[in-house]
Amino acid sequence: MRNWIVVLLLVSLVTVWGCQPADKTTDDTETDTQDAQQELRVAVAAPITGSAAAFGDMIKKGALLKEKEINDAGGINGMKLTLLFRDDAGKGSEASLVAERIANDNTILAVVGHFNSACSLAGQSIYDRVGIVELSPGSTAVNVCEGSKWTFRNLYRDDFQGKFIAQYIDNVLTELESVAVFFDNDDYGRGLRNAFVAEIENTELKLVASEAYERDTTNFKAQLTSIKAKKPDAIFISGLYTEAGLIVKQAREAGITSQFFGADGIDNADFLTTAGTKAAAGTYITTPFLFGADDVKAQEMASNFENLHGVPPDTWAALTYDAVGMIAEALEKTYKPEASIEDKRSAIREHLAAIDTPEKGYNGITGLTYFDHNGDTVDKPAYVKIVKDGKFVAADKQLTGKN
Amino acid sequence: MWAQILEQLINGLVLGGIYALIAVGYTMVYGIIQLINFAHGEIYMFGAYIALMLIAVGTPFWIALPLSMLLCAILGMFIDFIAYKPLRNAPRLSALITAIGISLALQNLARMIWSARPRQFPSEVLPSFFLSEVTETGKVINAVPLPGGGILPFRDVFIFLLAVVLMIVLNMLIYLTKIGKAMRACAQNQVASNLMGIKTNQVIAATFAIGSALGAVAGIMVGLSEVVTPTMGYYKGVAAFAAAVLGGIGSISGAIVGGIVIGIAEVFGADIHSGYRIAFAYIIMILVILIRPSGIFGKATSKRA
Repeated sequence: MRNWIVVLLLVSLVTVWGCQPADKTTDDTETDTQDAQQELRVAVAAPITGSAAAFGDMIKKGALLKEKEINDAGGINGMKLTLLFRDDAGKGSEASLVAERIANDNTILAVVGHFNSACSLAGQSIYDRVGIVELSPGSTAVNVCEGSKWTFRNLYRDDFQGKFIAQYIDNVLTELESVAVFFDNDDYGRGLRNAFVAEIENTELKLVASEAYERDTTNFKAQLTSIKAKKPDAIFISGLYTEAGLIVKQAREAGITSQFFGADGIDNADFLTTAGTKAAAGTYITTPFLFGADDVKAQEMASNFENLHGVPPDTWAALTYDAVGMIAEALEKTYKPEASIEDKRSAIREHLAAIDTPEKGYNGITGLTYFDHNGDTVDKPAYVKIVKDGKFVAADKQLTGKN
Repeated sequence: MWAQILEQLINGLVLGGIYALIAVGYTMVYGIIQLINFAHGEIYMFGAYIALMLIAVGTPFWIALPLSMLLCAILGMFIDFIAYKPLRNAPRLSALITAIGISLALQNLARMIWSARPRQFPSEVLPSFFLSEVTETGKVINAVPLPGGGILPFRDVFIFLLAVVLMIVLNMLIYLTKIGKAMRACAQNQVASNLMGIKTNQVIAATFAIGSALGAVAGIMVGLSEVVTPTMGYYKGVAAFAAAVLGGIGSISGAIVGGIVIGIAEVFGADIHSGYRIAFAYIIMILVILIRPSGIFGKATSKRA
């Protein structure tokens, strides 16, 4: 009898241990509030685990590089910047819990994140209530910033991205006439699909099929067979890299030869490993940022990143690097040690909200960032990449046009 | 039109074969100890990961497959020994809650060991006939060409045939061998079987071992065509559980038929409205249970105490 009680205890221990967020080590520092006097704490909320974990990994690495650079250069007005990583697993339900914990931690001054649109939306009302800035380096759903004075983002919205993709297929890939959409049935996938489909009406393209899937699905044969029957020239996948990789792989197996097109949710190297380089070859995707070969600032960041982490950075690492930079700049200009936590937090918000013209814009590696009255970024372009020789490279033809 | 229906039917059969393999594990355990073993989906997931690890260290596929089955059989028996055996005479709810706890523990254990990032079987080390493709010249390699331009990969044929063969072997085991006879006896009346000299705990352990080994095969098959993640057991596990209930939980033929029905319902459901793909499978299940509450093959007897 006693034996199995011990075993059961062990099992429950493993369960509890396993349920702990991956950022256990940073949690421990939370208790010593004395340190908080000399250091400035900013939370980075991202999908560290779950099916979007590869994004979280890059976000964390990008944020760590900026943190290191700032602290190596003497910190912010002599104070050390400390980033606290919080895992939302890419799910809205987890994000609300994480947001609640961040908002109620009186040592945290601002939030960089969340990444997934569903997570940013779930966190929004909580951050609003408490009054803390949420600066997303990855959420593109249209309504992420709407109705909230505390939410900002440093990249374009999906209404622009969806339109851009339809325009690119219509104007650049002129041999393609009919398109099908295969979308992830969540805030991001649905919103992007709607924008894409709305723009199709204004082009010469013909929409022949629109199919949905649920996140974490791994078998897409049924939907792909339906899509195949409509013989689309191009298939636009409005979703994230894991599912997209499997879709492309299974589509090629099912004998689908259509041109694949994806959006920034696919902009991760794991897409290529999941799909297999042969099946993925020729896939086009949109992205909010390209590491231009003649862009000195971006190349310098890329080499520092590789020195620190041993892998090249991606789009999300770059956008997070800039988001942390923006918060650091706000802290540098507004932080008063004697002020109350509410005032410290709202001073950051005032600073960001005041960045509303190109002249006042934050000049990061991903370009000039400034906000409209919603907190949405104005005037940042989209770029197109293509899979070539097992890598994402800039497409030969870029479409100019800003949001 | 017909080409599309044929292709969907094949998709449904392959998926159904996998569901059947998993559902058998649920139904066998339920048949003997009236426990819904929620940890079964996790054993299926471990089967995939164990094979993946074995292959990663250079084990050939044909050795990794049975070895993973063996290790999962041991894992299944181990779970029974530490978690369910002590609760054999406890209220059924205690065992059910323990099963959910074991399921969560195993899922998180997998996340700690292998991380949440999806993994795939490295294609270089798999038997070559698993790697089907259509070349640029339209030549079909390692697959059966279908009317309508699609292909049926040999891998999927293999998955379905393996499922069928394993089901036949399982039925022979249950109806033609001594241990099978003991299992059937235990399912009928455990106390009486025990009185007749059947070592019921050994029979139950054997049931867990067989169910888990079949689950491992299903896990590896899914890993071959899809991806391996710590949560893979949950998604396929729930569908397979529905299959077991639909077929009549406790009945092995029921689990097989239920698996195929759920697989085909899901695929054609996706054809009608892709957003409700899995919902169609459950609607079929609910309809069947409304008409026959004990499932297709379930016996409409009163519940044993």
